[in-house]
Amino acid sequence: MHHDRLVLYLLWTDLRTALRGIRKGDLAWLVLGGGVLVAYGIADIVFALAGYAETLRNARLIWTFEAPAATAVLGLLLGLAASRMARAKALAPFLRPLPLSLVARRRAALLAVSCFGISLAVIVVGLTGLAGLIVAIDDPLASALRAAAAFVSGFAAATFCALADMRTPVDPPALAHASQPGFHLPVLGRLDRATPRWLNAWAWRLPAGRVLLAVPWIVAGLALGIVMVLATGASFATRQAVPAAAAATIGGIAVFMLALRCHPLRSPVLRTAPIGFTRAWLRLMRLPLLLSVVFFSLPASAAVAVQPSAWPISVGCVLMLFILNAAYGVFAAYFATAPLTAALSFVLAIAYAYYESLEYGRTVLLGLAGLIALLWHQARRRYRNG
Amino acid sequence: MDNVRALDVRNVSAGYGGRPIVADIDFCVRAGDILGLLGANGSGKTTLLKALTGQLPLMTGTVAIAGIDLTGKPEKAKAAFGLAIEPGDLPASLSGQQYLELVASIRGCTADAWPCGDVMARLGLARWLPRPIAGYSLGTRAKTAIAAALLGAPPLLIFDESLNGLDPEAAWEVKCMIAELAQTEAHAIVISTHVVETVPALCNRAMFLAEGRILESWDAAALAQAAPTPGAFEAHIIRSLRDQKASSRRRALSSAAPA
Repeated sequence: MHHDRLVLYLLWTDLRTALRGIRKGDLAWLVLGGGVLVAYGIADIVFALAGYAETLRNARLIWTFEAPAATAVLGLLLGLAASRMARAKALAPFLRPLPLSLVARRRAALLAVSCFGISLAVIVVGLTGLAGLIVAIDDPLASALRAAAAFVSGFAAATFCALADMRTPVDPPALAHASQPGFHLPVLGRLDRATPRWLNAWAWRLPAGRVLLAVPWIVAGLALGIVMVLATGASFATRQAVPAAAAATIGGIAVFMLALRCHPLRSPVLRTAPIGFTRAWLRLMRLPLLLSVVFFSLPASAAVAVQPSAWPISVGCVLMLFILNAAYGVFAAYFATAPLTAALSFVLAIAYAYYESLEYGRTVLLGLAGLIALLWHQARRRYRNG
Repeated sequence: MDNVRALDVRNVSAGYGGRPIVADIDFCVRAGDILGLLGANGSGKTTLLKALTGQLPLMTGTVAIAGIDLTGKPEKAKAAFGLAIEPGDLPASLSGQQYLELVASIRGCTADAWPCGDVMARLGLARWLPRPIAGYSLGTRAKTAIAAALLGAPPLLIFDESLNGLDPEAAWEVKCMIAELAQTEAHAIVISTHVVETVPALCNRAMFLAEGRILESWDAAALAQAAPTPGAFEAHIIRSLRDQKASSRRRALSSAAPA
């Protein structure tokens, strides 16, 4: 095996090992169930496209701007995920003492990411072209190529950022102990004192209550703050509770998703301790839930102040927030070591359930509840049996 | 290789988060040397070896491997040593054969370029090679890591507690290989171990680390003198360790006492 392809090869062997690790019965269910779902999804989309063909044909903005913009964002997200995965492989611990330059590592990672990107771009061309053909737009190939070009641009931009940021691999403790900007926030420690006390410090990586400042956290904090201020301002301006209540719910779940860390559920330290899955899970939920409620309470209070008669809206939002937080908590426990995958899966599941509920009504929620119960059961089984 | 220092360490300090764990380390290893590195847990042996193998940035000093500066030309310097990595760091999804092929490709040699006979046969690794590393025992992983370190016959070989977990026969084979390689005078070996008796039996030089500094070192003659009878060297090391602990305690008490 030549080392130019090492990242691609490591990813491939990881995938093969993961597939081999799945029991044959589970694999059959996955292939059959997944196949049926995909076929259903494709049929659903084809019928929807055919049904709204005329409207879609006339809405030129969709094909010239909106579809490329959507594929660019998709490319950006997928590029980020693929390049982070490839980067982790290129900087694997066993490669650290080997004479492999940073350029060679970048090249190996780029090769793997390019293979992903090209395959995905071909899929984007195929799907967009097919959609154009079904809707019978003037030039489906041009639209497909435009969407693919936008996808490739987003993918390449994310890849460039992630791989340009690659640094010479050093021992992780050196990075962990490296001086990073941050500040002490003892109130975080006081917020949550239930036993086992080390759990949050471990999950959140808060050495002695020290909050490390990272660019993504600052950006997320600013974005949430701006949304909260704008929504509250809109409520006061229109004397309507809805904008502030909606911002409270969306912001609350966003804070919860950003804060929740379930990776300790996979650690032997916790799994061999006399602590049950439910207790450990609830314990990990506690601090993110507190932060979520704190964030929620500010715009929700504004909503009640603006329109006191609309208090049922705020109560409904609280209930909705708790349900969403609990549902995301289950996704996070299942994808314990991959918070990004957990977040994407959760958002997709909610979006899909919402889309299907437009056609089939609230019965779709039973399917979503079933999925959450299944994930809970699997997460608990993994915690107990490894 | 005779006149070239396989490893030249000058005034090296290294650590984490700006705090040095090892400091003022000065020594060199020539071809034909087997240097035994001793010290209590937390004395800085692994930190030192990580600094010497480019896994940890140096805070001060220089490291040259076969005359090549590790900081200035890390890839060239890394090509001149083979490190038996920690068994837990091996890529679990690869098979032993794939891992060795990958290391050989990076080193620019074939996957059977051993410096001392058929290492696979000597370590009894052959039958494990087609299987994924994930299924290996600790000892088999350690053997794989040792085999990978030997690939391409680098002039400097570094083993960080690599004999741990090996069965007696494999441990014996590894020690024989180390001795054979040193005898060729084409290789130098650095081996850190807690099995103190291994050092006078296998090494011709030794270094004792305490609190991140070299507390004591022995050349070939001094090592022979320090181990006149079986167990004498071990007894000396244990005494040093106890003295070291006692002086640390005294220092801690005196610094805690009110002025």
